[in-house]
Amino acid sequence: MFSLFYGLWKYMFSKTELHVLILGIDKAGKTTLLEKLKSVYSNLEGLPPDRIVPTVGLNIGRIEVENSKLLFWDLGGQPGLRSIWEKYYEEAHALIYVIDAACPSRFEDAKSELEKVLRHDDLQGAPLLILANKQDLPDSVSADELDQYLDLKKLDERVYMFEAVSAYDGMGIKESVDWLVEVMERSKRTEMLRARAGVTGPGA
Amino acid sequence: MGILFSKMFSSVFGNKEARILVLGLDNAGKTTILYRLQMGEVVSTIPTIGFNVETVQYNNIKFQVWDLGGQTSIRPYWRCYFPNTQAIIYVVDSSDVDRLVIAKDEFHAILEEEELRGAIVLIFANKQDLPGALDDAAVTEALELHKIKNRQWAIFKTSAIKGEGLFEGLDWLSNTLKSGGG
Repeated sequence: MFSLFYGLWKYMFSKTELHVLILGIDKAGKTTLLEKLKSVYSNLEGLPPDRIVPTVGLNIGRIEVENSKLLFWDLGGQPGLRSIWEKYYEEAHALIYVIDAACPSRFEDAKSELEKVLRHDDLQGAPLLILANKQDLPDSVSADELDQYLDLKKLDERVYMFEAVSAYDGMGIKESVDWLVEVMERSKRTEMLRARAGVTGPGA
Repeated sequence: MGILFSKMFSSVFGNKEARILVLGLDNAGKTTILYRLQMGEVVSTIPTIGFNVETVQYNNIKFQVWDLGGQTSIRPYWRCYFPNTQAIIYVVDSSDVDRLVIAKDEFHAILEEEELRGAIVLIFANKQDLPGALDDAAVTEALELHKIKNRQWAIFKTSAIKGEGLFEGLDWLSNTLKSGGG
């Protein structure tokens, strides 16, 4: 009986989950980021970095920040697996794009994949957080330097930010999440997705 | 109280137990996979009517692996085994292109089951040793794995006959179960 009321209460007062898609080419550190998020924001331990293997599928993580519930989708980044990325665009509220800032030889690959992602109609208006990851490594470039390297055009209308992080030691993680939550809560896209969820009913 | 102590004991010594169901159409290779995992060798099998169950100890996890018969007439009985399942291994014959649609439909029907809501999903794109076998990306597409948005999944190319890919899959299972995935 209690669970019935609890369920009803949860149904009436809970906010819809905000979906955050974590993309980037292989070896960027997406899963390490996800596990760090889990260990910082929930009471789950999260896998230590040395136990993380390349993702061939989907990893998920749920966290709560203040009053928002976030669901992260971390998809594999190897070339053969990138074709499924777009299947997740339509329901994503925001995008985190992870780049290995200590590996300049792959900036070009990272850039062209990101441009492809941003051109897709299903991601229109989704806030974008670009992470210059692996700041724990000595030869990593800063967020500004990465911004210059990538030289992304046509970002003007999109809400976006570059942030220097280390998914390994946790540097910049809180700042990143704070920014994401803030922009998602007031983005037109979130409004649009919430309206659509309301029309088609909860759950799914 | 006894439960508490046994839980503490197992968390200290890292011996978790997990109940795993191996599902898939008939002739996908489920039984061959089970015995390859358990004994490390290829046994000759006959179509399973009912089930086989074995315990596989790997990475400090004791996997209780249930291999359920895959023929059409006995698939409705799968659900008798659904409660308390932590993970599903779904086995596909990657060379049986004609039946991939059926494999997909059965797969998504399983995922709708209330009792399997918390289970993580490992897909074995099996029979990679056969000519014309689809690769992991193609099987991902055919099974429409992208429709899974609420739980963790992973796909591995396997050949049960050659013993390839199976333990990589178990590595993923044990890591994901340990990190509280689902």
